[in-house]
Amino acid sequence: MNEKQAPILVVDDEPEMCWILENIIRRTGFTCMTALNAGEAMALTKSNKFGMAFLDAKLPDIDGLDLARKLRKTNAHLPIVIVSGYFYQDDPTIEGVLQEGLINAFVGKPFDHDEIVRIITHNAR
Amino acid sequence: MEDKTLNATGRDLSGRYERLYTMLLDAIPSSVLLIDQNMCIVSANRNFLEKGRRTLANTIGYRLEEVFPTVILDQMDITKRIRQVIEKNQPAKGERMTYRAPGVPIRIYYYSILPFAWQGQVEGAVLLMDDVTEQVRLSEEVRQVERHLASIVESASDLVLSTDKKGRILTWNAAAERLSGYSAAEAQEHDFIDFCTNEDRKDIREIFSRIDTRKHAQMKECPLQTTKGTSVPVSWVFSPMKDSYNQTAGVVAVGRDLTEKRKLETELHQSQKYAALGVMAGGIAHEIRNPLAICSSSAQFLIEEDGTPEFRQECAEKIHKGIQRTSAIIENLLKYSHPTTTTRTTLVNLASLIRETLTLVTYHANILKIDMKTSFPREPITVQGVATLLQQVFMNLFLNAINAMPNGGCLGIDVKMDHQEVRVQVTDTGCGISPREIGKIFDPFYTTSIVGQGTGLGLSLSYSIVKQHQGTIEAESVEGRGSVFTVKLPARFGGGEP
Repeated sequence: MNEKQAPILVVDDEPEMCWILENIIRRTGFTCMTALNAGEAMALTKSNKFGMAFLDAKLPDIDGLDLARKLRKTNAHLPIVIVSGYFYQDDPTIEGVLQEGLINAFVGKPFDHDEIVRIITHNAR
Repeated sequence: MEDKTLNATGRDLSGRYERLYTMLLDAIPSSVLLIDQNMCIVSANRNFLEKGRRTLANTIGYRLEEVFPTVILDQMDITKRIRQVIEKNQPAKGERMTYRAPGVPIRIYYYSILPFAWQGQVEGAVLLMDDVTEQVRLSEEVRQVERHLASIVESASDLVLSTDKKGRILTWNAAAERLSGYSAAEAQEHDFIDFCTNEDRKDIREIFSRIDTRKHAQMKECPLQTTKGTSVPVSWVFSPMKDSYNQTAGVVAVGRDLTEKRKLETELHQSQKYAALGVMAGGIAHEIRNPLAICSSSAQFLIEEDGTPEFRQECAEKIHKGIQRTSAIIENLLKYSHPTTTTRTTLVNLASLIRETLTLVTYHANILKIDMKTSFPREPITVQGVATLLQQVFMNLFLNAINAMPNGGCLGIDVKMDHQEVRVQVTDTGCGISPREIGKIFDPFYTTSIVGQGTGLGLSLSYSIVKQHQGTIEAESVEGRGSVFTVKLPARFGGGEP
């Protein structure tokens, strides 16, 4: 396990979802920090440099995509993954933000853990 | 001397009687002919001469066949009948005769022949003819009008019936026969209320008892019982039937079969429900996919078989909870989308109905970052109504309010008891409705939604449902600030599920 690796940020208003993603991420050897809304997430970015972020699309304060824009401003190279039950794979919104480069990957809920692992190994820095 | 005086008096008298006789004959509106045994005309009154366009000179002393057209005499056998009257000294039964004098339109006469006897000897016969042309024409017209009216009533697709003042069936048209299965003859042995359901009888009795004190026709929806033991929804209009002295002689009831209308209404309600579900689909999918994701991931952890017993226990619990959550959402959806088959009203606990409906829209509201503030009174709130229809009203109001706030806001639901009524206020902090548009919002198909996002029927349906529940629905709005929709329904006290 490489302790120097940057932690991965997980933002989901559902604590159970945070628990799941945290468990998967830990198994890949990365550390993880969770936030239940965009406000908490932005607060965490002030004292942490994240290597990657998993965001829910629908957060209680602002939308996941809006949070992605905010995070992008603080870190232009941060790999961002939207994990959501609201959108689907070919969703025009998702295709748009993927093309735009705002997000690096989209994962629909429910998902296979292998897919999350693959995305982490492929994107995490 | 005495004889002479007597004779003179006798002559005077007979002269006077003859004059009086002629006057009378000329005055009566009948044609009178005196005919002797040789079928010669002895006297003819003025009416006869005028109708036949004849003069005394070419009539008196002439034979019957010289005065009447032969066709008529032969056809009616008048000569023979006169002879029989004279021979038997018995009057002939009256009959109808059509007579056409040259240059005059056809006239119809009712004629009779009376023997004229003097001192036991039949001297001739009196032919009495009454012109009944006008009466015949009028009665024919009356019959035609009657036939016309009867055919209108019989061919009407609506039920048209009449009863006496007490409600006993007098007439029962073909539509009533078709719909009820009872023939007019069978129906006439019954009272109107025999065809009503038990719960409507009281109201119907009241309508009948008050029918002549009411200025306007009275309306009531009341199912009609059929021979099959089923009942058909019928909308009735009861009006007093007046006689020629303007006294109420009975009741006319006109009924319309509502089966088709009800079917269409039900279909409309159903499609409106599906449309609402469509609007909420995003929220619902999101809400279901979250617990599904939790279940799926927990199961995947269990498959990996490397967790501690505590971790495995936690996974199993999360799966169980997730399934319960998903199942609750699906149950709510099923309840909502289930077709409304009944229009029977029951006592409805309005507070729990509104709470259930709110659960359904919560998913949608959450996605749009809409806060919900509710306020319910402590006491139970009960109304008489069809629960699924009422739920639809509130669902429409909630969805409209939510859709007015695409960038978030606050949805307020305030339920209050106000004397005899329940007042539900649905408030949003959305875009509001312009004064130009607010008058149209309850119109069918009026919508500001883009195609595919609203049918424009929600509020018009809500309006008709609330009206059906003897309630009112009103809207107030400030453009850019938000809207308030107020539904008022008559409260029911006592009974009902807590």
